[in-house]
Parts: sequence; structure tokens; C-alpha cells
Amino acid sequence: MSLDAGLAPGTRSALEALLLAMADDEFVIGYWDSEWTGIAPLLEEDVAMSSIAQDEIGHARAFYGLLGELTDRDPDTTAYDRPPESFRHCRLVDHARTDWAFTIARRYLYETADAVRLAALEDSSFAPLAGLVAKIQREERYHLAHAEGWLRRLAVARPEGRTRLLAALRTLAPDAATVFTRLPDEATLVEAGVMSAGTADQAVVWRAGLEPLFAQLELPLPGAAADPATGRTTHSDGFRWLYGEFTAVRYMDPVAAW
Amino acid sequence: MPRRAPHLEPYEVFRQEKDGDPMRHGGSVMAPDPELALHYARELYGRRQESTRLWIVRRADIGVLDDPDWLQPPLDRSFKKPGGYVMREKLGQARARTGRPKGVPGGGHSPARDEA
Repeated sequence: MSLDAGLAPGTRSALEALLLAMADDEFVIGYWDSEWTGIAPLLEEDVAMSSIAQDEIGHARAFYGLLGELTDRDPDTTAYDRPPESFRHCRLVDHARTDWAFTIARRYLYETADAVRLAALEDSSFAPLAGLVAKIQREERYHLAHAEGWLRRLAVARPEGRTRLLAALRTLAPDAATVFTRLPDEATLVEAGVMSAGTADQAVVWRAGLEPLFAQLELPLPGAAADPATGRTTHSDGFRWLYGEFTAVRYMDPVAAW
Repeated sequence: MPRRAPHLEPYEVFRQEKDGDPMRHGGSVMAPDPELALHYARELYGRRQESTRLWIVRRADIGVLDDPDWLQPPLDRSFKKPGGYVMREKLGQARARTGRPKGVPGGGHSPARDEA
């Protein structure tokens, strides 16, 4: 029995698209960051980054689970049994992991954007989502503090740390705002009070929030998304490689019980 | 460019398991600064919800006293320990007065103290 969200069919499918986008974002960044396990800059950081990556995959699981209640689909099926092109994560998290500065630059851009997105859902009229968001927000505060701490360190670590951080921000700049890629029929979500603000308004809040720290650290602010229409639909070879990694065990025995 | 290893230093982590418990030493983490020490302490001593509070202290900031002349003086100081004062007879008399046998709580002394 799928959950009766008390929503019009159009709003319901928009809600499903929102949940899938958020779940895929958390899932993909979680998997990228889990690639640091064993090779992070220092042992303690290895534990920290692995734990944060695990948290993100946990959030993805929760979003896939809520989506599953609407669609009657098993979260594992949604996560692992789709072809790579039907993933709806944003291009910010699509890039291959590369170096530590890149990971920190992306984490900071993503965590700040995710915080704005979650804030737009904390009073959601869809009560199960508001409840889940309240829990996730508590963990994301810590993730954001971790990313910000590292961003500050790297920004003043001359020459190498800062050089690498600037290179990462340049690579990510055209895709940073893709977290706020317009969702299908998102106007109905705002109208129904599922989301308190549309993605374009959220992007404005996000950029304004970045400004003080970026100015203080003399870092270039990312601009608008270079290709906003395809922000969640085109994926890189980097992602296709990651997809092969995270589905490898599943495909060894798709019907195994874990 | 030669790579410098990050300058790490040890931080001692104290943890409280639940409200009202004393802070107990949990272990230590290596970190390049106090902020990351906080994060690493959180991950190593708190990520499984096993702590309600952590204290993270730079080891270099801890006042250390381990001078044996201060702590282990050579002369007999056994009279400063409770064991230096023999209670056994007095306790026996007290028990006889109250009629309460040895080992029954409520006598105002813990069993450990009674044995001293």
C-alpha cells in the first residue's frame, strides 16, 4: 500500500521528483567521499570523512525510503537497479573526486546549498518530509562545520593548498548552482506548501550566504549554472565509473539477501 | 615541491556517557588544530551516540605532575591511608551494639571500608 500523501496527482509526481533528486545527490556525494577511506590526509580524517560519507548514504536511504512509501518501490531497487542515465543527482556531485581540495570545495558548496534546500522543506506540508528534514538538518550542521573548517585551512595554506582549492573552485564554478536545478512542476510544490520557496529563490539565498566567507577568504564566488536545463540529467564518465563501483556488489548476485 | 607532513599534535579526549556522569578519559586524537581536533574527537568518541559531552584538551596545555619526589616520597606515609587506622575492633564492637551482622548494608560504612 503506497502512502496517501493527500496530494493532487501532479503535486505528488513533483514530490517524487524532489525526493529522487535529493536522494541521488546524497547517494552520489556519499559514494564519492567514501572513496577516501584508507587514503585521507591523516588517520583521524580518514575516520571522519568515512563517517560523513556514511551519514550521507544514510540520508539517501531515508529519502529513497520515503520515496518508496509513495511509489511502493524498494529503496535498494531505486538506488541500485537503475541505469546510470536515470540518476537525477546534480552536476556538482557528478564530477570525479580528484584531490582533497576538490573534495572540500565540493563539500562546502554542496553543504551550504543543501542547508538552504532543507530549510525550504523544514515546514513542509508533507509531514513525513518535514519530520525527516528536521533529523537530517541536525547532522548536516556538523558536516557543514567540518567542510568550513577545512575550507578555511586550505584557503590560507599557501601555496599548495590554496592553489589546489582555487583550481577546484574553477572546475566546479559552472556546476555549483546545479543543486538548484529547476524541478519538474516545482511550482505545484510551492503552491501546496510542500516546499516554501522555489529553486531559483533558494539559489539567491545560497549565494548571499556564501558571500561573506568567500570575500573574507578572497575566493571567487561561483556564478549561475552554465547549463541550468540539464543540471540533473547529463552525467560524466566519472559518474559512470562510480556507478560501476557502487553497483558491482549488487550485480554479483542481485537477489541475495544482505 | 617537497611535501611537508602536516604538523599534528595530540589532544586528549574526555567523555561523559550520560548526563550527570563524571568526565572520564577516553583516549586521544592527533590533529593539526583545535577545531579539527573537535571534529576528530566527535568521530572517534561520539559518532555512535556513546557520549553526551566531550572535552578536548591540547595535551601540551595539561599541567603534568609526575615527579616521584612529590608523588612517591621515600618515607613511610602509610598513616595517611585509611588502612593505617585499624578499625576492625571498633567495628566489631559497633556491630555487637547494633546487632547487625557483618556485610549487611546500612551500617554507615561501605564493605570495602569495613575491611580496611
